Amino acid sequence: MTVATSENQAKTDRSRRFHRFLEAPVLIGALALIGLSLIWSATFHLTSDVIASASRNNASMTTDVAQTYEAQVVRALREIDQTLKLVRYDVQRQAPEAAIDDLNEQDLLPPSLLFSVAVLSPEGNLLATHGRFGLERAEERAFFQRALRTQQLTLSRPIDTDVGAFLYFARGMTDEQGRDSGVVTLAVHAEYFVSGYDSATLGEAGLLGLAGDDDNFRVYRTGDKIGVGTSLGVVAREASGVTDSSPAPLVRHPWDQVERYTVVRELFEFPLSVVIGLSHAEQLAPARATVREYYWRAVFASGLLIGIAGILGFLSWRLQKERQQATEERVQHAQKVEYLAFHDSLTDLPNRAYFSRLLTQSMLEARRYERQFALLFLDLDRFKHINDSLGHDAGDELLQEIARRLACAVRESDVVARLGGDEFVVLLPNIADPQHVSPVADKILAACAKPFTLVGQEFRVTVSIGITLFPRDGDDEQTLMKNADMAMYHAKALGKNNFQFFSESLSDDSLERLTLESSLRHALERQEFRLYYQPKRNMKSGDITGVEALLRWAHPELGMILPMQFIPVAEENGLIVPIGRWVFHTACQQSVDWQANGMPPLSMAINLSARQFIDEHLLDDIKLALEETGMNPDLLELEITESMVMRDVEATVKILKELKAMGVRVAIDDFGTGYSSLSTLKQFPVDTIKIDASFIHDLTRSLEDRGLTEAIIAVGRSLSLNVIAEGVETSEQYEFLQAQACDEFQGFYGNEALPAEEFSRLIASIRSGRS
Amino acid sequence: MPRTFVKIIMTGLLSVLGHFACADVVVVVSDGSPVRTLSATQLADIYLGRLTYLSEGEAIVPIDQAEQTQAHSDFYQHYLGRTPAQIRSHWSRLIFTGRGQPPRAVNSHAALVEAVTRNPNAIGYMDAEAVPDGLRVVDIEF
Repeated sequence: MTVATSENQAKTDRSRRFHRFLEAPVLIGALALIGLSLIWSATFHLTSDVIASASRNNASMTTDVAQTYEAQVVRALREIDQTLKLVRYDVQRQAPEAAIDDLNEQDLLPPSLLFSVAVLSPEGNLLATHGRFGLERAEERAFFQRALRTQQLTLSRPIDTDVGAFLYFARGMTDEQGRDSGVVTLAVHAEYFVSGYDSATLGEAGLLGLAGDDDNFRVYRTGDKIGVGTSLGVVAREASGVTDSSPAPLVRHPWDQVERYTVVRELFEFPLSVVIGLSHAEQLAPARATVREYYWRAVFASGLLIGIAGILGFLSWRLQKERQQATEERVQHAQKVEYLAFHDSLTDLPNRAYFSRLLTQSMLEARRYERQFALLFLDLDRFKHINDSLGHDAGDELLQEIARRLACAVRESDVVARLGGDEFVVLLPNIADPQHVSPVADKILAACAKPFTLVGQEFRVTVSIGITLFPRDGDDEQTLMKNADMAMYHAKALGKNNFQFFSESLSDDSLERLTLESSLRHALERQEFRLYYQPKRNMKSGDITGVEALLRWAHPELGMILPMQFIPVAEENGLIVPIGRWVFHTACQQSVDWQANGMPPLSMAINLSARQFIDEHLLDDIKLALEETGMNPDLLELEITESMVMRDVEATVKILKELKAMGVRVAIDDFGTGYSSLSTLKQFPVDTIKIDASFIHDLTRSLEDRGLTEAIIAVGRSLSLNVIAEGVETSEQYEFLQAQACDEFQGFYGNEALPAEEFSRLIASIRSGRS
Repeated sequence: MPRTFVKIIMTGLLSVLGHFACADVVVVVSDGSPVRTLSATQLADIYLGRLTYLSEGEAIVPIDQAEQTQAHSDFYQHYLGRTPAQIRSHWSRLIFTGRGQPPRAVNSHAALVEAVTRNPNAIGYMDAEAVPDGLRVVDIEF
């Protein structure tokens, strides 16, 4: 059973694990991951596009700027050359000073704000100037000497002055004989050539520059910073030869470590190059800002997605958890219900139903593997007494302790179960040899025999154990259990606190008795007891004066059983008290019913057993029966045996006095069999003595019995007691007794004991006969 | 605290004195010119080449003094709020990109007086003490 369950569980676990892939939290997580990867791949794609197109734009823009700048520079240089040529022409015709004044007057000279013009003699003396012009530096003189010799347009390196760097342009002059006659020169602020720097296009880190054929800058500008003289370095090599259509290459400029899209372009007519650069970082800044914007959006979208997925995931996780919890609770509840159905709530041991299943299982296994097992049937010896005297709580506590001790006394593979009440059963599976059972039984006896502490008192209980072996002592559950029960009763009969194996002889010998014992327990609740009524008749008139209630047990299988067969058993197991209670009640009720049906008031005699007589509740029970039924106490007569009253004279006198006080009559039964002395008898407040049937039986044959009977009758009369003869069977006996003036008699000579209805009919017939 | 206060007062006094000092340069036109007053913005536009005709349709020709003179730097500082270097940079860009020519510069007061007197459309600037008959000081409204 447990194996099958765990297999099923494993199967459901596997399928549950598979289904978990389709469950909401996992699904949500997967979708969120897909969403995230989409967002980010789109973002990466988009941003790399933005950067790439911005880079392309910058490269081509650099080329455009280069073209414009080149044109501007060429035009500025041409204007300068034009001015030099114009001045040279005029100077060759008139005095230099007059020539300059003339040209100035005609507005043919460039604005003096930026440009200064001078004419120098071959020796280097200033002959005429326009604008501010000084000759203080050695490099200036060297430059003029060079210009004087060449006739061509000559360009100086940048020359620093206190008002900024200047560039000098010069052309030499010859006279009619071809001799050097001087130099015409023009000085211009170097920054002039880079004043076209437009921040809108070039930014703050762009580059505009003019370089000589020595690969040094004549002037360059980056933002508002203007520099001169710096070497181009690698830039000259890497950025020259760029055509109009090709994009500008990206070069790191060595002087300021800025990476720029760079174009270097040599001028056609002049030994100069223009250098244009667009800062990579700066030009890409807008694109980068866009990219950042995209990333932020992606981050925001991702956050949103994760947040939503998180909330959804959390909600569905909680839902799932709640569901799971509900399922677990259901399963736990079902398990609990099942457990309760198969376990005894008091001791937690398997109950009768579960044990029955375990036993069946054990039988199947034992048959298959040809094994044998033992069944130990246990019953506490004095449980009823403990339960009655200490209360049910103590009894329950005792049962729990017994259960614990039993569990400790056997192996874990053995089964201990409680069948109900104080009945326990132990199953020892797989017993190789019946001899092996005895040590276990001994162990159990020893475990149970240890003292218990209940409600603060130390107690000792013993158990009786009956043992059966499968398959030797029974091949089915019922037989095994019945035989174990029988063996247990045998153990009880052998003085309790021991164990007995079942045997066939045991079964044959005492089957009847043992069955009686076991079924007596159920007789009351199954209403198997009956009362028979034996009439008492007046010796003289023959009228019925009363009845004696006699107990019978209508056993379903064994038929009608007489009290002497079961009363000893009932006395032994204490059942006599409740049975007696039933007798009181039934007899009293019957008496009341008869009178209600019009019968004359008849006395009702009830026998008390020895155990009943000493029961402390006796008087209460009688009172209760009288009160419940409303019977007149004068009609009730209790019969006790002579041996009972003689056991404890003082206690007996006390009880009898109380009975008398209630108005109940008392008879001494079987009188003559005991050893009561007359003096003792006098102490007892009794009303009647009954002569034992054994004297009556031999009355006609035994002189001794006859004498005794006469004596008893005489004693009774002398004590003014009513004398009744029992077991009167023949007319001889009847006549003898009549002659001896006995008061009443019972027996076959009169009537045998009858059921209530028959007795009613008897009375009715007597009445009708009389009338 | 008192020291800071004194500093603020001194700074204020100095700036007022400076203003008076600069105000020694005045804008002049010939007696024949219709121009009586100009706003500072109009004056700046005229000297930066943005304005060549007045609203009445009269042409206006600015005359400059040489860059290194006191009058030059005072004038541009006071009326246009720019340094000579900024002015040079301005014209340098216009000339290089071919979009304009700076005002014609004269080398002396005398030359300026002569140029303004000769041309009723001309406008110039000079030391307040040196303004001769035949020239009129123009009110500049800031």
